[in-house]
Amino acid sequence: MYPLFSKLLLIITLSFTAAVSVANDSPEQIVRSTSKDVLDIIKKNEKDNSKMRDLVDQRLSPLADYNRMTSLAVGRYWKSATPAQQDALSKEFRTMMIRTYLSALTLYKNAQINVRGTRAGNDASEQTVRTEVSLPGQKPIPLDFSFEKIGSEWKVFDISVEGISFINNHRNQFGAVIRKDGIDGLIKSLSEKNNTSRQNK
Amino acid sequence: MLRRLIVFPLLLLGACATPQNNYDPLEPINRPIYQMNKAVDDAVLRPVAKGYVRFVPPPLRKGVDNFFENIDDLFSIPAALLQGKATPASKSFGRVLVNSTVGVGGLIDWASDLPIEKQNEDLGQTLGYWGLPTGPYLMVPFYGPTTLRDSVEPLSRFIWGPIDYVDDLAGQITYYSVYIVNARAQILPLDKIINEQADPYAFIRDSYLQRRWFKIHDGNPPFPLPMGSAEDLDADADSEEAAPIASAPSAVNPETP
Repeated sequence: MYPLFSKLLLIITLSFTAAVSVANDSPEQIVRSTSKDVLDIIKKNEKDNSKMRDLVDQRLSPLADYNRMTSLAVGRYWKSATPAQQDALSKEFRTMMIRTYLSALTLYKNAQINVRGTRAGNDASEQTVRTEVSLPGQKPIPLDFSFEKIGSEWKVFDISVEGISFINNHRNQFGAVIRKDGIDGLIKSLSEKNNTSRQNK
Repeated sequence: MLRRLIVFPLLLLGACATPQNNYDPLEPINRPIYQMNKAVDDAVLRPVAKGYVRFVPPPLRKGVDNFFENIDDLFSIPAALLQGKATPASKSFGRVLVNSTVGVGGLIDWASDLPIEKQNEDLGQTLGYWGLPTGPYLMVPFYGPTTLRDSVEPLSRFIWGPIDYVDDLAGQITYYSVYIVNARAQILPLDKIINEQADPYAFIRDSYLQRRWFKIHDGNPPFPLPMGSAEDLDADADSEEAAPIASAPSAVNPETP
């Protein structure tokens, strides 16, 4: 009985502190602290890819709105998906996104992420934080995070590298797969890709 | 001779524009060309670029890259001036001045250490700045992605460039070979991501178009470029994504036969 209780307590405390810290931060502060933490995680866990991936995923999950991201990437087909399909899609999309950016970030583990400012979105509930990833002796790469305010929390719904948006870049491909093999076909192809690359590591 | 080889297919592509998709009217022609480019890349270019990275020591590769970056800087001076951007133009000018002299003909990038930051302008961006639309997206044989508008940059370099002062054929061939291998080696890290895509052609096209849109607005585009055909977009999606594409005339999806 006791271990269960302490675990519960831990979970409650953790989720509470996470919620508090997120609620009070502006998108810019979130980007600053998160990017620092993520680069630290990468540096410390270079030898263990799966551990690195899990830690980064944990650090990012309270900040990212994977459902919204996935729905934007899937586009109009999102509504025709059942809740179970939507969950499965979000899950695979999340894995894919972490994987894609980690493979890029490991090349940039010694990089500096400089926040260049915040741009207002279409309305008060949207903001884009503009940053630059720079390595000594190389051209800095613009990296932008789009935030949306949900309740009192800011959540990321898109990331773009040099203006190339992660959600936009998948819309065409997802649309093509769904038209050919349906939503389950897309879930299957995403999870196959995620699994093969997991085994390769 | 080399020039004509490049210009001709461009004209050919420009001539047969049959609108099918809202932003890739030439897709039926572009796709086979992409397949061919991919085959050439698999067979020759990528292995050579990999060997180059493997066997040529990093300082030498850096020097080669700096050399070509210096020529980019040179061309970005008129590109910035024609947009009325005085500061970027003078920075590029300063970079060329420093790197061509103290930097031994561009091999060493002293300017970045000063620091005079690298500017990011080219003639395609100049035309975009003045409101010229991209024109059709093009997949150019043996070259890669561009648009009709952005082809102005590579074309202008064929018309005039430092290479004009290298007269003998062997010198020209060496110049272009090193240029191509260096350019390919720079993007080797992207191969992994591209190969993972369900549709690499669409991935490259959408990345290219978004990146150009971003650059023309100096990293501050008024709205994100709508990607995907109209029917892929959620009707209830955010207005910024739905609005621009709604005005596009009859977008037919490329995948529907």
